[in-house]
Amino acid sequence: MQALALSLMARLKDPWRPPEMRNHPDVFIWDDGHNDMCMKSKAEAPLDGVLLNGERNSKRVVERDEASIKLLSGIFEFALHVKNRFLGMEESLNKKCRLIWPFFLILFLHCVAILFFTRGFLLTRTELSSFRDCSDLSQSPCFPSSFEDLNTSSSSPPNVNGTIRDQHCWTAPAIDRLVIIVLDALRFDFVAPGTFFDETKPWMNKLQVLQKLASDKESSARIFKFVADPPTTSLQRLKGLTTGGLPTFIDVGNSFGAPAIVEDNLIHQLVRNGKRVLMMGDDTWLQLFPDHFGKSYPFPSFNVKDLHTVDNGCIDNLLPSLYKEDWDVLIAHFLGVKVIEVLKNQSGPGGLHENTFLLVMGDHGQTINGDHGGGTAEEVETSIFAMSLKKPSASLPSELDTSFCKLDLDRKKICVSSIQQLDFAVTMSALLGIPFPFGSIGRVNPELYALGAGTWNQPSTSSAKCKNWSKLEEWMQNYINVLCINSWQVKRYIDVYSASSVIGFSSEDLLHLTDLYAQAQDNWLQSVKNLLLSPNEIPKESCDNSLPIFQAQIKAYFDFLASVAELARSKWTEFDLKMMGVGFGIMLISLFIHLVAIRRINKLCQISYPSLGDYEISLGFIFALFVVAIRACSVLSNSYILEEGIVANFLLATTAILNLRHSIMKRKMLIEAVAFLLLISVLRFTIEPGLSKQAVSSVFVNLNPLRVLGIDDSHPVWIYIPEIVPVIALILLAYLLYKSTGGNSCWRVFKYFFITGTILSYILITVHWALESNMLALPLLLEGNGKNFIPRMIYAIGFGLLALLAFTQLFKQEKTLDYKEIVVIKTVAMLSAWSSTVIILLGRQGPLIALASIIGGWCITMLQNLELEAKDVTDGVLTTHPLPVTQWSLLAVYLFFYTGHWCAFDGLRYGAAFIGFDEFNLIRQAILLTIDTFGVSHILPIFGLPFLVTLQHPYGQTNQRKGILSMKLSQVFSMYGLITALIATFTIICVTIQRRHLMVWGLFAPKFVFDVVGLILTDLLICFASVYYIC
Amino acid sequence: MENSTSKASRSQNDPVSVSSSPSVLEAFWLHLICGLGLAVAFWVANNVYAVNLISNPAQTLRLILVIESPIVIFLYSLFRQNPKQCSYLKAVGRGVLGLPAGAVLNAFGAIVLGTPVGIQYLTKTISWSLLMSLFTFVPAACVFGSSWTNWQRLFAHTKPNGILDYMICFPAHGAFLGAWLGAWPMPLDWERPWQEWPICVSYGAVAGYLVAMVASLGFIILCGGGRQHVKGD
Repeated sequence: MQALALSLMARLKDPWRPPEMRNHPDVFIWDDGHNDMCMKSKAEAPLDGVLLNGERNSKRVVERDEASIKLLSGIFEFALHVKNRFLGMEESLNKKCRLIWPFFLILFLHCVAILFFTRGFLLTRTELSSFRDCSDLSQSPCFPSSFEDLNTSSSSPPNVNGTIRDQHCWTAPAIDRLVIIVLDALRFDFVAPGTFFDETKPWMNKLQVLQKLASDKESSARIFKFVADPPTTSLQRLKGLTTGGLPTFIDVGNSFGAPAIVEDNLIHQLVRNGKRVLMMGDDTWLQLFPDHFGKSYPFPSFNVKDLHTVDNGCIDNLLPSLYKEDWDVLIAHFLGVKVIEVLKNQSGPGGLHENTFLLVMGDHGQTINGDHGGGTAEEVETSIFAMSLKKPSASLPSELDTSFCKLDLDRKKICVSSIQQLDFAVTMSALLGIPFPFGSIGRVNPELYALGAGTWNQPSTSSAKCKNWSKLEEWMQNYINVLCINSWQVKRYIDVYSASSVIGFSSEDLLHLTDLYAQAQDNWLQSVKNLLLSPNEIPKESCDNSLPIFQAQIKAYFDFLASVAELARSKWTEFDLKMMGVGFGIMLISLFIHLVAIRRINKLCQISYPSLGDYEISLGFIFALFVVAIRACSVLSNSYILEEGIVANFLLATTAILNLRHSIMKRKMLIEAVAFLLLISVLRFTIEPGLSKQAVSSVFVNLNPLRVLGIDDSHPVWIYIPEIVPVIALILLAYLLYKSTGGNSCWRVFKYFFITGTILSYILITVHWALESNMLALPLLLEGNGKNFIPRMIYAIGFGLLALLAFTQLFKQEKTLDYKEIVVIKTVAMLSAWSSTVIILLGRQGPLIALASIIGGWCITMLQNLELEAKDVTDGVLTTHPLPVTQWSLLAVYLFFYTGHWCAFDGLRYGAAFIGFDEFNLIRQAILLTIDTFGVSHILPIFGLPFLVTLQHPYGQTNQRKGILSMKLSQVFSMYGLITALIATFTIICVTIQRRHLMVWGLFAPKFVFDVVGLILTDLLICFASVYYIC
Repeated sequence: MENSTSKASRSQNDPVSVSSSPSVLEAFWLHLICGLGLAVAFWVANNVYAVNLISNPAQTLRLILVIESPIVIFLYSLFRQNPKQCSYLKAVGRGVLGLPAGAVLNAFGAIVLGTPVGIQYLTKTISWSLLMSLFTFVPAACVFGSSWTNWQRLFAHTKPNGILDYMICFPAHGAFLGAWLGAWPMPLDWERPWQEWPICVSYGAVAGYLVAMVASLGFIILCGGGRQHVKGD
């Protein structure tokens, strides 16, 4: 008995394959591993349960007696029965999996290709949210343990230890107040004298005040060439200026929608260390630093036409502020030259601005057309004018002075030096005596630092001063201290960054940096420290020799900081062409595989159903190829990317006109062809306001059709129409849904679920809009969370319907009959489950768009029959024509642009992410935003693709129909995927070619991101859809 | 004229049509005069009225229309179908009626393809579509009137049959194609005045029309002669 039981157990444990089944190997042919995936999802889950039961029972059998064995064998039989059922399905499953796995392979290849390319092209940097503190300095090697003794022994500041620390947070403050005037797109040649340039341009020598001050021997002012790092977009530059880092196009960890800077930055340090910051001008600053400014006078800056509001507002506020004492740092984002006079008047000893530092600077340059964003010299070079109102007591040694002098128009000598934008934050921190921002990798610029008069009469940290030291040597000693802190802080950042970031620096580079740093520190410890900090009187010889020692030390630090900056630049601002090449290569391979997959399906068809006609190249095929080629090539030009919606419209209309021609030729489907043309033109007129950014500006208001026709649009009728039309459209949609499912006989129960669920959510949408509008006085009914309740319910219904679909997919009963009807009902169910969410996110244009896409899709499907009928219908030509698929994809692109999206980050409709929610949650809001952005252009078209197949004329015999349909479905999906992949590949080519184009960050990179995200989404959706419809 | 040619060129699916089909020489003259008419129109616009397509597109287009339309209508009406049942004047009348009708269709096509719509473009669009109609619809209207089968043969099937069909079909399709291609430079950011609607589209249409006339002549000489020869045997 026991032996029997054990053998039964062994049989049961043998997973999946009872011995008698092994005699039919042909049933178990796995042509590759992907089949397993399909099998598991379908078969293993229920079977595992059975096996477990069997085991548990068999144990009982072993313990007790034979009576239970009957039960066991019964269970075993049941297991076999279940298994047989699945095995019966296996053959068809196997066939289906053959149709599906290429989609997963292609998805994988695309992901890998894009990952590689993006790593080379879209440089990313992880934002670290650590902050520097005053007390951090005790960890640095720069102040020895004897620091406290030194302080107490030094006589100049008679304070106790703690207060000194407060005073000297990291460096001793050299200036008391700072006025920063930021000018947008201040080119270097706006400020520098015209004599510095070979060619004279009309805009040169206009800011003569600055030039005069810079050439004046009496004043301590200087003009610097301020070299920014690409991308030279305003946001990235302001971020770079304040954090001292190199912001990339996409900073990982960037908060969603809100551009607030989360990294440690200059403004943050100012506020933390008790400085009062006053800001006026461009409100971008307030977005970047939402709660840092003690007082601010923001002015909106988005209206490009209005040049005066910001400036006037600033002038009204700036000059009075200069007479007040309630600020330490003033940032003004505008131009006001009068400031200099006011400051000068009060710069005398004891005056309000005795030790004030003035900076006039640009955030980036611009090209002659006023564009910026790229990395050309014109865009990168801006200028900074620095003036200390207190004159420093000496000037720099020539080794540290990089200036380049020439005579200006008045024959006075004027010197201009160059400074990296990277160095700005740290130099300002050093001058103001606050901790350097955590992520800063700049160095304290000697020239700018030396302009601060306070740096020349620092209280020495050393009691043992050489008596014969000049001012200069004292300054250098101080500067070395600052550099020591600077290097320590940069080294810390690099270490922390490479420890915490996924994509860090390479270990070789890090090792090199560590070497350099160790070298510099050794040097410091051996020679300089003794000189600076030895408690005894220093011998006179070493005092005399101190200058070369100092210089060597400064050079060591400079070497270290320069190599850090170089490494960071190569990491964060230079493209990795190798990576890009690999990514592009994989993309090409995936395209090739895509083509092979399509060929393979064609072959499969011919093998399985040899009676069906052969595939032949028709005029429609050539034309589809032509249209896709034009669209792909149009991505190579920035103008066509800007007008992509119009290009899609043009191509779609061209195909529609050809359809009309075809239908005239065949003398049928004339209504559909004309309806399609009308739809395209009507769409243009109704939705054009959302087409482009220009719609927001006043240009559109003038073009308002009602105004043009001379109709008073304040009449109540015109107010009610936009409220009522969407509701009517919704009712129509619901009616269509009811009609389309009415005649269908399968899935009766689920059908009612779907219809009621969808219609309920449509009613809820109507209620939501009614509450939102001002027409009815209802809004008072639902305060606070109440208004969020309805959208959330709609999302919940949509999600519930999708879950129900998944459930039915897993446990459906294959009783039926007509595969085609099942696909139709599945498609309708899928689309209706998505529709309510998409509609509410799109807002009031939603129902109209949905209607338009239904009509468009219907026209395309109907019109494709024109081509099909050219062949012999009774033969049933199997291959799908690519032209309708191309039209489908063009319509999707067209709808993307006409729903008010465009391929830029400001083209995202952030408002849609907050329908139904007030507070921000990254994942939730990102999902909503994705549905809004890609809903009409990716989700609905892909799930609607089966209509292209199912609404064709019947073909083949009934028993073949199922196989034919699934093959056609996979054909359509792979064609659609191929078109999207082709466009994305051309976008990749385009950004590779144009990577030094000045619009690269403004136009090409966003387009790249949108296309790539769209491609991955398309692949994913196609995988889902193919599993859903075919399996 | 040569009756053998006329019989050879007669459409098979339209047995009623008895057209007075032109000879190769006549076709040459017709195309030459139409081309010269365009050239004269441009010359007059430039030198007499001192307007050109770029500075005053609507006026120039109208001027071309005024000069070119009588030439096209009168010339093509000579080759009307069924000359016995349809007088010359009737053919001219058909051409005159066909001008606005074709313009409506052309304008609709242009709007579907993305023509800017607005009061300021109204006159330009009207002038352009009238000119397009003159290139495409008017010759067919003069010759065939409302014979649907002939229209279908030329514009849907694109199966020209005989010299007359070549003379109508080629220039019309050339003008369409030229206009379609002419629209492509419009979105480019070169900021040239000729990128405005409908300047480059008109240039494209005129260029396409002229090129197609040459092509049509070539086809007539090649195929027309060949057919005659075959028929003669």
